[in-house]
Amino acid sequence: MRIVIGQGSCGIAAGAEKVRKALLNTNLKNAEISITGCIGMCYLEPIVDIYDENNKLTRLVRVSENDAEAIASYVESGDEKLVEKLIVSDEDSEFLSKQTRIALRNCGVINPEKIDEYVNAGGYEALKKSLCDMTPEDVIEVIKTSGLAGRGGAGFPTWFKWNAARSSEGDEKYLICNADEGDPGAFMDRAVIESDPHNLIEGMLIGAYAIGAKHAVVYVRAEYPLAIKRLKNAIKQATEKGIIGENIFGSGFSCDFTIKAGAGAFVCGEETALIESLEGHRGMPRLKPPFPAQSGFWRKPSNINNVETFANVSWIIQNGGEAFAAMGTEGSKGTKVFAVTGKVKRSGLVEIPMGKTLKDVIFGIGGGMKTDKPFKAVQMGGPSGGCIPADLIDTVIDYKALGATGAIMGSGGMVVMDESTCMVGMAKFFLDFTAKESCGKCIHCRIGTKRMLEMLDRITKGEGKEGDIELLEELCYSIKDGALCGLGQTAPNPVLTTIKYFRNEYEAHIKDKKCPAGECSDLIEYKIIADKCKGCTLCARNCPVNAITGTVKNPHVINTEKCIKCGKCYTSCKFGAIVKE
Amino acid sequence: MINLTINGKAVQAPEGSTILEAARSAGIYIPTLCYDEAVEVYGACGLCVVEAEGIPKLLRSCSAKVSEGMVVNTESERVVQSRKVAMELLMSAHDGDCVAPCQLNCPARTDCQGYVGLIANGEYDAALKLIKNKIALPASIGRVCPHPCEKACRRKNVEEPINIAQLKAFAADMDLKSDSYIPEVKPSTGKKIAVIGGGPAGLTAAYYLTIMGHSVTVYDMMDKMGGMLRYGIPQYRLPKEVLDKEIAIIEKTGVKFINNVKLGVDFTIKSLKEENDAVIVAVGAWKSSSMRTEGEDLEGVYGGIDFLRGVIKGNAPEIGEKVAICGGGNTAMDACRTAVRLGAKEVYVVYRRTRNEMPADKLEIDEAEEEGVIYKFLTNPLSFNGENGKVKSVTLQIMELGEPDASGRRRPVPVEGKTEEIDVDSVILAIGQKLVTDDVQELELNERGNISADSDFFTTNIDGVFAIGDATNRGASIAIEAIGEADRCAKAVDAYLNGEKLDTRVPYISKRDESTIDYSDREKQSRLTPKVLPADVRNKNFDEVSLGFTEEEAQKEASRCLECGCREYYKCKLLNVAQRYDINPERFKGEMPQKYTHDENAFIERNTSKCILCGLCVRSCREVMNLSSIGLMGRGFKTDVSPAFSLPLDQTNCNNCGLCVQLCPTGSLTEKFNLKKQVPLDENYTEEFVEIDGKKSSVLVSRYNGKILRVIPNDEISRNSGLTREELQAKL
Repeated sequence: MRIVIGQGSCGIAAGAEKVRKALLNTNLKNAEISITGCIGMCYLEPIVDIYDENNKLTRLVRVSENDAEAIASYVESGDEKLVEKLIVSDEDSEFLSKQTRIALRNCGVINPEKIDEYVNAGGYEALKKSLCDMTPEDVIEVIKTSGLAGRGGAGFPTWFKWNAARSSEGDEKYLICNADEGDPGAFMDRAVIESDPHNLIEGMLIGAYAIGAKHAVVYVRAEYPLAIKRLKNAIKQATEKGIIGENIFGSGFSCDFTIKAGAGAFVCGEETALIESLEGHRGMPRLKPPFPAQSGFWRKPSNINNVETFANVSWIIQNGGEAFAAMGTEGSKGTKVFAVTGKVKRSGLVEIPMGKTLKDVIFGIGGGMKTDKPFKAVQMGGPSGGCIPADLIDTVIDYKALGATGAIMGSGGMVVMDESTCMVGMAKFFLDFTAKESCGKCIHCRIGTKRMLEMLDRITKGEGKEGDIELLEELCYSIKDGALCGLGQTAPNPVLTTIKYFRNEYEAHIKDKKCPAGECSDLIEYKIIADKCKGCTLCARNCPVNAITGTVKNPHVINTEKCIKCGKCYTSCKFGAIVKE
Repeated sequence: MINLTINGKAVQAPEGSTILEAARSAGIYIPTLCYDEAVEVYGACGLCVVEAEGIPKLLRSCSAKVSEGMVVNTESERVVQSRKVAMELLMSAHDGDCVAPCQLNCPARTDCQGYVGLIANGEYDAALKLIKNKIALPASIGRVCPHPCEKACRRKNVEEPINIAQLKAFAADMDLKSDSYIPEVKPSTGKKIAVIGGGPAGLTAAYYLTIMGHSVTVYDMMDKMGGMLRYGIPQYRLPKEVLDKEIAIIEKTGVKFINNVKLGVDFTIKSLKEENDAVIVAVGAWKSSSMRTEGEDLEGVYGGIDFLRGVIKGNAPEIGEKVAICGGGNTAMDACRTAVRLGAKEVYVVYRRTRNEMPADKLEIDEAEEEGVIYKFLTNPLSFNGENGKVKSVTLQIMELGEPDASGRRRPVPVEGKTEEIDVDSVILAIGQKLVTDDVQELELNERGNISADSDFFTTNIDGVFAIGDATNRGASIAIEAIGEADRCAKAVDAYLNGEKLDTRVPYISKRDESTIDYSDREKQSRLTPKVLPADVRNKNFDEVSLGFTEEEAQKEASRCLECGCREYYKCKLLNVAQRYDINPERFKGEMPQKYTHDENAFIERNTSKCILCGLCVRSCREVMNLSSIGLMGRGFKTDVSPAFSLPLDQTNCNNCGLCVQLCPTGSLTEKFNLKKQVPLDENYTEEFVEIDGKKSSVLVSRYNGKILRVIPNDEISRNSGLTREELQAKL
């Protein structure tokens, strides 16, 4: 018997380490307790997987340390009744069974801290094949056949970048992995590194071989300490096995491997800013051209790909470009990982083939909305992306189709919203993020996003004026056109798409001074409907400013002048007697 | 060589050159603010964007390379819009005054801060020259101008405004004392211009057009030139000797004067137009306005300007012992003080509001009172009552102040049934003046009965005929308004004679939000005014009341100036680019990135609130000097340039090479002038060479009016020499 505890950051945050310690303290004799990375069902963490002798899996979810004894007894006795309430439901199991996992194939399956488990799962075979049986040109050709495109967001063909870097003159070249995953709500890359670091290393080494680089660098944000720890461990193990270093697999190909922890600037996810940061400078984008393939890290030809892009490489080499290209649409091949969060019932990591619809992800896998409020929109691609409204839910997951809506595929952030989300407030949230994260270099981004934010702030406070929407649009297009890097060029997307699909909401804020979603506190008032109020006094007791008065069993009243609109009464009322207006 | 097309022009450029380099070598302008050949390309400002056929994105021309057959447009609609918005955004976060508020509030845009500063430094001739760029009659105007400049002067927020008008009179008087400044006149253009009216507007236009090389003749109906300055302002305020001297200087530049000729009698606009290439109508407003009050036509009721003119010409009307002057403006003050000087015993000023609302200059109001004038505030003439056709008394309606009117002043309203009667021998109506429309029948008039002239181009309904001053548009105003129009009109006429149309509108400039300015660190220093004749002496004669500033007083008063305007105004690249695009940064008005801060050492002054983050200072310090004494701090809108470890510049490894200052495209980093009072001046830069440790080294020398203002290291040797600016200057 094997007990495997999901120990990605998500699992640990939910208490997986406590569960592991509790299990170690039981009298379990016949079982090995091990860990794995992120299983993907974040909403069910902590998760404990129990494999019997025949490798049959029993999955226990939302486990707490108090369940340790019961689990131990179950393992000893095999009596399922002991853990009945913990066993994952058939419905929840669909969350994983409906997925097609390539980049995440080992995540939540193998122990990320043990190279042998990776090797046993077929790991490093692709590297051996590449180095020993293929020329770099062959490798690039396979990647070309696969149709793999950059998973960081832009969707640029990977083979093209590799080929450009390969063709660039220079004996010193660098292969860089961008693991500066900064979009709020995105955690695909973290999961890959924490759960399957060797897959990343293998993909990178194949890339390094293809472009002719002797140095591989991972730029990973310092906010991912567990990822850094596991990656360091993996590098050490691979180096010990001769997979990193001189003359790998006797092929004559050598490559060293380093990690650089980024200090937490969103803009360092932009490749040229990343390079500046790697060189020890302030993270600010460089002008392109020259592109990194010509002049990158230390002004040497460099190639930069995202974690998820590399995570697909070894599978493609092993299974062939055609197998990868068989999945997806004409313009978008393979699978894509999404970090699904927000008002959706089941949140977590979803990897599905391109060509599926948003509905497949949000309703098919995500299970629809958490509450009874209807689905309103989904924000794709974080602060650089845009929102897609409910009536476009059948949009196919494809770079072009998503782009046509005004949103982007992005790195895979998917924030699901229901009718209680104010779209102006949502745009403001993301713009606030980009405005603060602007590096300050170019005018359009530094001042433009600030001015847009000021306008949105005014609008959500009921101080918007006629012409604000048009001015916002003008500014959006100017910033898209004039900003230096992707951060600025895409910053207006949340505003543009919310104006495009929810213009009436903006107008309601500006003209009627109302927030239709009831989220902008300056524009709402809480009221008690006397007929519905039972006089239970709960709201009055919860009110932090004593704005609610009334006697027991009689309807209560809110003093709107005192009210600070915290919404505590609204959420505490059991009779739906409190309304937002 | 690569062949490409820029704005339809075939251009050749070496392979590997950027579009910007190719355009500049072909003489095509592309704006830049963060670009300099001394450092690596940066791409921050985004102003150098251009459009290239077949490329969907805008290209930053500073980095995009030329390619064979490329078709580039540097001024497409999309490009211009992008630059416009960039500049609007940039200026919305640029917290600085290009020029001082005094200059902005002067209708003639006289560089008040400039000449006040030069006076403070004892550079009187330079100050006079600066004034004469805008005002041809400064000694006269300095005496009579109601000085809108002083109303805008920020020193009032500390205690009182600078006495700008009197300082102007001081500088001009100094010039009149000896060899007066005669400007250089350009070679003759062969063009002839007729100016009708020799008042401040006509004389000003004539003066500037003559300097430009045109042949100008001024036609005037009176005996002498000067217009209202001569015939409307009493001697005690503006001695005619001063005016004569100033007019003589104008004549010396080559302006021809013809007096005693009248429009409509001796010539017509048409006849002048036939003989000249252009005609400027500056006839003024010579008719007193009526009050439409009963008894106005009685004997002994005079118009204000008619009365003043009579006195000046030596045929003063009979006013008797008791005189009532109706009105509260400067003409009313001139009339009442003249009446006192003529020997009247009881002189009343009848004004329907109170002292606080009087449009006249405060000093005039006070001085008149000292001289014995009696104010009848909150009264309004109901009727002028006569006996045998001669005025005998005035019935006054008692008024009170009601709600504020459109002018912001409280509206006077009659107190029902309350009147007062005063006995008078004469009445002077000083409530305004109007154009004599009979004279200008040939021109189109507006609904107010004034000549209709374009407010920017000064054109009238007749081609080649321009009109300015009191006779036009909104009617009579102060002299400096007419002078401002005349100066701009002279430029418009010059352009017209060259077959061009010149936009004389004031281009965009940056202004600080007055409400954000802090004066708490300013030491209070009271305002100086020139000494005056004692009231009991002056009220008996027409001697000039003001004795004028002494040199010591003038320097002391001038040194109170707060130096609001930017020292780099004349070479500000930022302003230059901003003025090329029709920008309105108000659209994006919002928070300013940081407080108005200063950090200075002996040579360099840093003002981060003007910084546009082009990075040239940081990059030149790092890339050229290899010092990194300054760097970028913070993120987003709060990004800032700061000396290393946020220390004062003097405590870093900065060696004062001045390269950052030289490259700063605006006034964020400036090098101090070699002057006590820092004045924005249009310096003249030359490259000169000095010997440092036996090696020849280049320095930039800035001069103004012959004086060295600054010496700036200009190569590796001088930048690394460690010499102070004084030591460098000594080597020149």
